[in-house]
Amino acid sequence: MTDEQALIAASQNGDAAALEALVRTHQDRVYGFAVRMCRNVEDAKDILQETFLGVIRSIRDFREESKFSTWLYRIASNACLKKRRRGVHDPTPEKELSLDALMPRPDSEGRKPEIADWSDNAERALLRGELSARMEAAIDKLPKDCKIVLVLRDVEGLSAEETAQAVGLSVAAVKSRLHRARVFVRRELAEYLGAEQSWRRESTSRRLDHSL
Amino acid sequence: MTCRELFERLSEYVDGELSQEMCEEIRKHMDECDPCVNFANTLKTTAELCRRLPSQPIPPEVAAGLRAFLSEHLPKSL
Repeated sequence: MTDEQALIAASQNGDAAALEALVRTHQDRVYGFAVRMCRNVEDAKDILQETFLGVIRSIRDFREESKFSTWLYRIASNACLKKRRRGVHDPTPEKELSLDALMPRPDSEGRKPEIADWSDNAERALLRGELSARMEAAIDKLPKDCKIVLVLRDVEGLSAEETAQAVGLSVAAVKSRLHRARVFVRRELAEYLGAEQSWRRESTSRRLDHSL
Repeated sequence: MTCRELFERLSEYVDGELSQEMCEEIRKHMDECDPCVNFANTLKTTAELCRRLPSQPIPPEVAAGLRAFLSEHLPKSL
């Protein structure tokens, strides 16, 4: 039995000190997630409180079928999405991200778009400390249903299966949302790094299904 | 495989979630298509950069507020 499993078992038996230790262990994780989802400290505090209140009230129902952290993300994700539905905090447009609109397109003469590999530029920009804010801004532009999946999967590092458990979606739905979110953030980075002048944005005149 | 078909599967490809046959098809396409290679590389970089974004640690006063809130609501538990 790991230390965490021992704390969970003790918490399930009503050990207040064990519960407090669990809260301390995971409070940074939940706060960081909530701040990123809400972009607002007051809302993040609400999510934090609601999440751990949920933990205390439901700890007896927790089964080792999933990781404790996944279960925690599920409670926190529900709190974030519920906040959106209440309309308390909703800065993000809820329009669908269309893969068609995000796909690079050929120019008017049918030439393939120039797509550069700017990975090294991104690395240098990251080291200069200027990329994180741009990335956060790009993630903020995502519709919430895609944003929560990208944050859980790529920022917090959950697997596709764990993300599906946390947000109550199928693994296939998680993968679809993740892909659209990643392609969107990638495009924002490409534009920032100035690497794709020939990018055709939001082109609806041509539906492309045969070439990049 | 067309660029479009590849484009749809790229996240699964960079995450290593596709079958060996599908990976072979993708690599075959990429041997002939530099834009797809570069798109795949930068999509992978995007995912890796997300993982390296710093998260805000909980400020001490927020942690103290949380503890006060929990003890207020559940005096017998905490």
